[in-house]
Amino acid sequence: MTDASTHGSLRGRRILIAKPGLDGHDVGAKVIALALRDAGADVIYTGLRKSPGYIARVAVDEDVDAVGLSILSGSHKELVEEIVEQLKALGARQVPIFVGGTIPEADLPELDRLGVKGVFTSAMKLDDVVAAVTEALV
Amino acid sequence: MTAPLQPTFDRLRVSKELSRVASATVEEILHGAGAEPERSRRMRVIGITGAPGVGKSTLIGRLARSRLKGARSLAIVAIDPTSPCTRGSLLGDRIRMEDLGEDPRVFIRSLPSGTSEDGLTDNVAEVLDVLEGSGFDEALLETVGVGQTAQGVRTLADVEVLVLAPGAGDHIQAMKAGVMETADIHVVNKAEQPGAERLVAEVLGVRRRARAGASAAATVIQVRAGESTGVEQLSAALDERLAAGAAVDMQRVRQRYRVQQLVQRRLQETLDQLPVTTWDASLPDNYLAVLRRLHAEARQFNPSK
Ligand SMILES: Nc1nc2c(ncn2[C@@H]2O[C@H](COP(=O)(O)OP(=O)(O)OP(=O)(O)O)[C@@H](O)[C@H]2O)c(=O)[nH]1
Ligand SMILES: [Mg+2]
Repeated sequence: MTDASTHGSLRGRRILIAKPGLDGHDVGAKVIALALRDAGADVIYTGLRKSPGYIARVAVDEDVDAVGLSILSGSHKELVEEIVEQLKALGARQVPIFVGGTIPEADLPELDRLGVKGVFTSAMKLDDVVAAVTEALV
Repeated sequence: MTAPLQPTFDRLRVSKELSRVASATVEEILHGAGAEPERSRRMRVIGITGAPGVGKSTLIGRLARSRLKGARSLAIVAIDPTSPCTRGSLLGDRIRMEDLGEDPRVFIRSLPSGTSEDGLTDNVAEVLDVLEGSGFDEALLETVGVGQTAQGVRTLADVEVLVLAPGAGDHIQAMKAGVMETADIHVVNKAEQPGAERLVAEVLGVRRRARAGASAAATVIQVRAGESTGVEQLSAALDERLAAGAAVDMQRVRQRYRVQQLVQRRLQETLDQLPVTTWDASLPDNYLAVLRRLHAEARQFNPSK
């Protein structure tokens, strides 16, 4: 559940939650999707094991305001880079990207350089995730 | 295999236009509408409706494969419910359409139902206008899982498909008076499951009573969307229905629907703006006060502005 401070904060925002890569756990992605919905967002969820090309296409077709990627496989740098490239290839503007999963501290500067606006771990409170997404979108 | 035909539309532009129109206020729709009356529509619209979980999205995913044969483009608009509490939504229909993901001729837009209460989405007529204007020849429209009424999809679609599935209990009973009678084609999905034959018989019974003499048999199709069984037969039935054309003047019916949607929303906004103490007055006084308020708005409204 999200508390009163984030209630409705994402109303009218369209957010894509996608799982690139090969790992098969989408519990975290679903929890985030529901938290964003409860904050008023329209959340598009794609399911497991999506290619970067597919994710970029969905981001364009659905005209989302942000893309949240759940990556547990360890290949977050490659996947984010590929998605950013595919978005460019489609002529889309760079939408804010968020990454959730197990991301080593050392990789944060590289993700930041790729345009990632926030990195979330399972230790974070949902309200803080929603607040961070809200802040990046206003 | 031949290479897929190149799409005839501009993804980015379609996408932006759809967002603009889908989130437009009543005023924005009116100001953007132009001076011409409702035009006839070239784009074919296939409406897919039915109770939650009967397999509408799965069916659309499979049906799209069939509709794409030789086509240059196909649009899919899939609507899921907006939560009345948080006003947020989880738009998951496209998960069931995944095998379309790699075909550039397909454009899928997921939309929340918003304030619309008939299984569609706000400004859905304008959403379809944008798709037609962008060069799509055909659109598949998935409603929210509704059982009772489907007036909107009946009005906007050239052909209305009602999807049913065995095991959904007595919902057919609840639907008898409404969408059961208005749908052009009935699909009994999950036809491999027990109870499918009985459901088909029930549907035929309702159809027969609803329109005596009409050939009800041809309109009930058994499908296993999970395995694509029966999908070609459905596609052929759609072509037949589309070729037959509409019985009534759909332009007028559509225009009436557009007006009704806008007035309803406007009324809702007006009610929301009134202070709660308004409702301490008598019923006739309240009624008149609301009508007067709408009248005052009408005097202020200037469509050319
Ligand atoms: N057994 C069986 N299951 C099916 C068939 N078609 C779809 N399903 C399953 O039914 C469930 C619901 O399918 P959806 O396509 O999401 O149903 P829907 O009508 O779009 O649902 P809402 O959009 O939520 O109203 C999924 O688990 C599908 O895999 C079928 O022919 N047979
Ligand atoms: Mg669906």
